Amino acid sequence: MRKTFTKLTLIVFALALVGLSAQTSFAGEALIIVVNINAPGVGFNDPTPAAPVGGNTGTTLGQQRLIAFQHAANIWGARLDSNVPIRIRAQFTPLGPGVLGSAGPAGVARDFPLAPFPLTWYHVALANKLAQIDLLPATDDINANFSSTFNFYLGLDNNHGTQPDLVTVLLHEFAHGLGFSQLANLGTGALFNGLPDHYNRHLFDTTLGLTWPQMTNAQRVLSATRFGRVVWDGAFVTAGVPSVLNFGIVEVRVTNPASIVGPVQFGTAAFGPTVASSIVSAPVVAALDAIEVGGNQIDGCSPLTNAGDVAGKIALIERGGICGFAVKARNATNAGAVAVIIYNQPANVNAAPPGMGDDGINGAFVTIPTISLRRLDGVDLLSQIPNGSAVRLGNNPTIRAGADELNRVRVFAPFPVAGGSSISHYDTVASRNVLMEPAINNDLTHKVKAPDDLTFELLRDVGWTFPDADGDGVANDEDCNPNSDTSATIIIAAIDTGVPNTLFPNGCTMSDLLKDLKSAAANHGDYVSAVAQLTNQWNADGLITGAQKGAIQSAAARNNGP
Amino acid sequence: MSKSHRTRRSPSKGHAGFPAIKFAILFAVVIAVAAVVFLASTKSSNAQKKFKATRPFVVDQQNGQPRLPNQEEIDQVVSNLAELANRPEDLPSTPAANGGVTVDLGGGFGGVMLARPGSDGGFETKCVFSLEEGAEFLGLVEETSAE
Repeated sequence: MRKTFTKLTLIVFALALVGLSAQTSFAGEALIIVVNINAPGVGFNDPTPAAPVGGNTGTTLGQQRLIAFQHAANIWGARLDSNVPIRIRAQFTPLGPGVLGSAGPAGVARDFPLAPFPLTWYHVALANKLAQIDLLPATDDINANFSSTFNFYLGLDNNHGTQPDLVTVLLHEFAHGLGFSQLANLGTGALFNGLPDHYNRHLFDTTLGLTWPQMTNAQRVLSATRFGRVVWDGAFVTAGVPSVLNFGIVEVRVTNPASIVGPVQFGTAAFGPTVASSIVSAPVVAALDAIEVGGNQIDGCSPLTNAGDVAGKIALIERGGICGFAVKARNATNAGAVAVIIYNQPANVNAAPPGMGDDGINGAFVTIPTISLRRLDGVDLLSQIPNGSAVRLGNNPTIRAGADELNRVRVFAPFPVAGGSSISHYDTVASRNVLMEPAINNDLTHKVKAPDDLTFELLRDVGWTFPDADGDGVANDEDCNPNSDTSATIIIAAIDTGVPNTLFPNGCTMSDLLKDLKSAAANHGDYVSAVAQLTNQWNADGLITGAQKGAIQSAAARNNGP
Repeated sequence: MSKSHRTRRSPSKGHAGFPAIKFAILFAVVIAVAAVVFLASTKSSNAQKKFKATRPFVVDQQNGQPRLPNQEEIDQVVSNLAELANRPEDLPSTPAANGGVTVDLGGGFGGVMLARPGSDGGFETKCVFSLEEGAEFLGLVEETSAE
């Protein structure tokens, strides 16, 4: 039985459709062609006999690889629409141990016909879709090279156990080729050939309040390591977040002053209470101690000399000096601090916040949570103490894991920068796990859209649309009628009732439902009765007026043909 | 210009011009060879770095246990990582007939999925976009000794 919807839901949905219509091209499913470039006898053509596994019916290793490839391609093909076939140039070759495979765009294009933004690079498969022509007809669109020596799970059912699942890996890498990656150089901050791309247009730095194309090269370099503060500003991803990411994240967050608020990357200690088990929110105070030989006044290696200031607050201590982490934390504990932050010293300016081991003696005396920070974040806190530096650490139940306060998804921006996986993935703090984190987690499904995932939503934000034959804003494979009657008014047996033909969120219109009743009815009486029941319900739900109900029922009564 | 418009050289002119043509051809060949050698050396500069393994990431075919890679395996991993994750700068733009501009990425700019044995009997994976990041994940460090 089909659900009915409230009037408010319908109004909201109708408004959403207005927004969607500009981006929906109403084309069919994208045809994704796997172009096998392996030589005979190897890779996709490997004749080694193989037993069918997990729905993969191939009987040779090569056949099973090809079937898995095409399966992953078809999953994306069913979600994306394009008038131009997408060609994946693919092979299996020996890549060395540990290297599973690779995929990426074969080319990029800009300023093509129908390009949404000028002077912006697009991965060629996306550019072709937008331009509705093949812009690089002499080349394929995505290059894919996978390991012929790695033992993948080749089934199609995601029942991979401890083996890496080829289909999942392919879905991830194909997404990079379809548009889930950016082109700027993370080491220099330089844009690709001097121009932004479709992806980095949506990267927003919450500290700077700028998108990546608005930044200088130097700002982009810094932004790439601004953990938790580079978010995706696309509307589709943001709309999908509530159905995908869970509330609650264990975090360390600067809460004051405004110029530096936000989450910070932190390391944990092997002693004292964990961050997850603590909730501390307090001002930050620089801990001072005696200057030892080989040390300084801010390394916390001696009993703190400003215990009165530190008590009830978070002690900020520099890493290094003549003692280990546990000694510093013990001294802060003794001074009455509620937590301790140890930030990297100048010698470790380029290091990530360290994990902090116990020395076997002092850790047992630490009763407050201890975290480490990169030097830049520690110095920020230190310099802003006159302005009231404050930090909150512990579980934050008000924020979804992997998003910011506004439900914008965080992109992966660890310090130090991770070559290229930084920025071109979602943050690893996401929960539930999602396909486009840097690692393939074991609990991933083969689903690529909300409420299971957010990959498709990002591809929509950059210009991809979904197959939608009737243009009602609901993808064909989720549409209760992919070829809906989308007439403006309900017409029954050539009688125009004048009643607006409302579209429901599941993709059916009122006309669709009335036609379904006609098809299902055993005779005219049954049909009229069913129409009366349905229209009474619509009237009760406030979807139609009494007069409109009468118009529909009257037309149905006269519709006694086949 | 059509072929018929070309001036036919007289034999005497041909003899007189021969050393110059030969020199020009020789010069062009030298330049071409130098360019190829330069480009090859640039492209493979990462691959020519010597790495050593610090963690076992090869699953041994015989006993299924993780082991350190041998030098041949390390070289293969480094070479493929360098090629797949290559992100060359200043790739040439090509004007398209329809008014757009395209760039062939030359097989680079790809995400490379790596795997290393995990503690639970499965694998830890990571998608990287550079040799350095991949080497770090697999525990490969550059040889700094003079050997």
